Amino acid sequence: MIRATELTKRYGSTVALDRLSLEVPDGTVFGLLGPGGAGKTTFLRLVMGFVFPQAGQIDRGGLSPAQIGYLPERASYPPHLSVRAYLTLVARLAGLRGAGLRQAVDRLTGEWGLESVADRRLGACSPGMLRRLGLAQALVGDPPLLLLDEPGQGLDPTDQRFIGERIVALQQAGKTVLLGSHHLDEVTRLCSHIAVLKQGRLVRCGPLEEILAPQPQVIIVTDPLPDGLRDRLAGRSPDLIVAEGRLTLRGEAISYKAHLLRLLLDAGVDIRQIGEQSATLEDLFLEATGR
Amino acid sequence: MTRIWTLAWFLIGDLFHSLPALVPLAAALAFGLIAFEYGMDQAQFITVAGLGIGVIGWLTTLLLAGRADRAWSCLLVARLRRRTELLAALFVSGLGLTGGLAALITVPNLLAGRLTLELPAAGWIVPTWLVLWSLAAALALALSGLVSQGDSHLLGYGLLTALLVANDQKLFLAEHRLGGVIRVLNLLLWPVSRLLAQASAGRHDRLYFLALALTGGYAMALFALAARLFDHKDLFWPE
Repeated sequence: MIRATELTKRYGSTVALDRLSLEVPDGTVFGLLGPGGAGKTTFLRLVMGFVFPQAGQIDRGGLSPAQIGYLPERASYPPHLSVRAYLTLVARLAGLRGAGLRQAVDRLTGEWGLESVADRRLGACSPGMLRRLGLAQALVGDPPLLLLDEPGQGLDPTDQRFIGERIVALQQAGKTVLLGSHHLDEVTRLCSHIAVLKQGRLVRCGPLEEILAPQPQVIIVTDPLPDGLRDRLAGRSPDLIVAEGRLTLRGEAISYKAHLLRLLLDAGVDIRQIGEQSATLEDLFLEATGR
Repeated sequence: MTRIWTLAWFLIGDLFHSLPALVPLAAALAFGLIAFEYGMDQAQFITVAGLGIGVIGWLTTLLLAGRADRAWSCLLVARLRRRTELLAALFVSGLGLTGGLAALITVPNLLAGRLTLELPAAGWIVPTWLVLWSLAAALALALSGLVSQGDSHLLGYGLLTALLVANDQKLFLAEHRLGGVIRVLNLLLWPVSRLLAQASAGRHDRLYFLALALTGGYAMALFALAARLFDHKDLFWPE
């Protein structure tokens, strides 16, 4: 299990992760969901030991970064090597030798549909093939944990589907996959657990089924709120989301709906609409992106 | 150790698939033509060629480190048990290429009769040059952008330039009553200058071995500095 405790990472004055605590259970496909700049890539880099946190700790469950399979968002490869030569290089660095090395390279080229381009220079491979190669190299040495940053990035639907099926197969084989993505459909299709990040903070975390379960919420549409009132409401509860002309109440906040309405009326705010609906993952994501 | 050799072999191959590979080759060929124009005896060969090839080795290691400071390193470093293994591979490949370039310069001049070597005394060239080039390779690593944090390597270049300029301007320093600076300079550069002086004079005594050990110590200290910088660096290769 990966356990992050109060992780903080700053790049100059930019806070990439802000006291992030997170647990990734073994054997899950765990989706890190969030818009660009939410901290997904930084978290994966921290797990890989490429960057160091200013505060907090990360427990990799006894694994060293070298025992973790990693695919960065935009992986880069030495253009003069062939697909086979590159996989052989990675396998050698992973400690494979002799027949074991040859078998591993043959197996990975076969499993990832790379036989037809095995002797092609990497500089001449298509983005789809390079993505497959990226996933194949991450699996060299049969690591129990995989960190995949936007694995479906820039791929056509056929390649996306192929890679999705392979990720599900990896989970079924007992591997833990930590997947960073900003694609809702990719995350809902592949992940058993998710964490939603916003500006380096954890917005939501848990099994996908729980998060996707209908959650009642009350939406109050109003005229723009006076600044003083908006500030007062915004800090009241994490279950009360205050946006321009729109209040969203969830969980405990629903119980003080009447009190809130009275507060708005007393302040002379015009209430245009009150409605109840279920929150979806898309709502969560839109909330995280601030849209 | 196998990982280091694998990586070193890959780094050499990568360099020779790029245009910058022409730089050390051209430098070596130019040095071979110019320095040997009037021929060399063994004493000159040890000092002049040793230092000249050492500078080319420094440049070669710097080029290798520059090539390794790229996005594709990310997936290779991810496979290493320690980041230092990449530096060790750069060091080994830098030394290997320097050796190759030295052969490229030496053999044709030897065959053309522009270089005379006396065996078996010429065998002492090997440990002398190996330690000298190790210093050059380790210095290149410590000064490379690969290990630098921010522009910290510029400070290194500044110090190195100051050292070389001060060494060249000893007369000026003496005239301005800066004898203390000269003494520090002499002390700092003693191992390298003594190593070359003893080796070129054919005196392989205790002083030679002391200078050899101290020059090797300099190389190890610079490598350790580079390793420490690299170990604590946030790696941000644009992916």
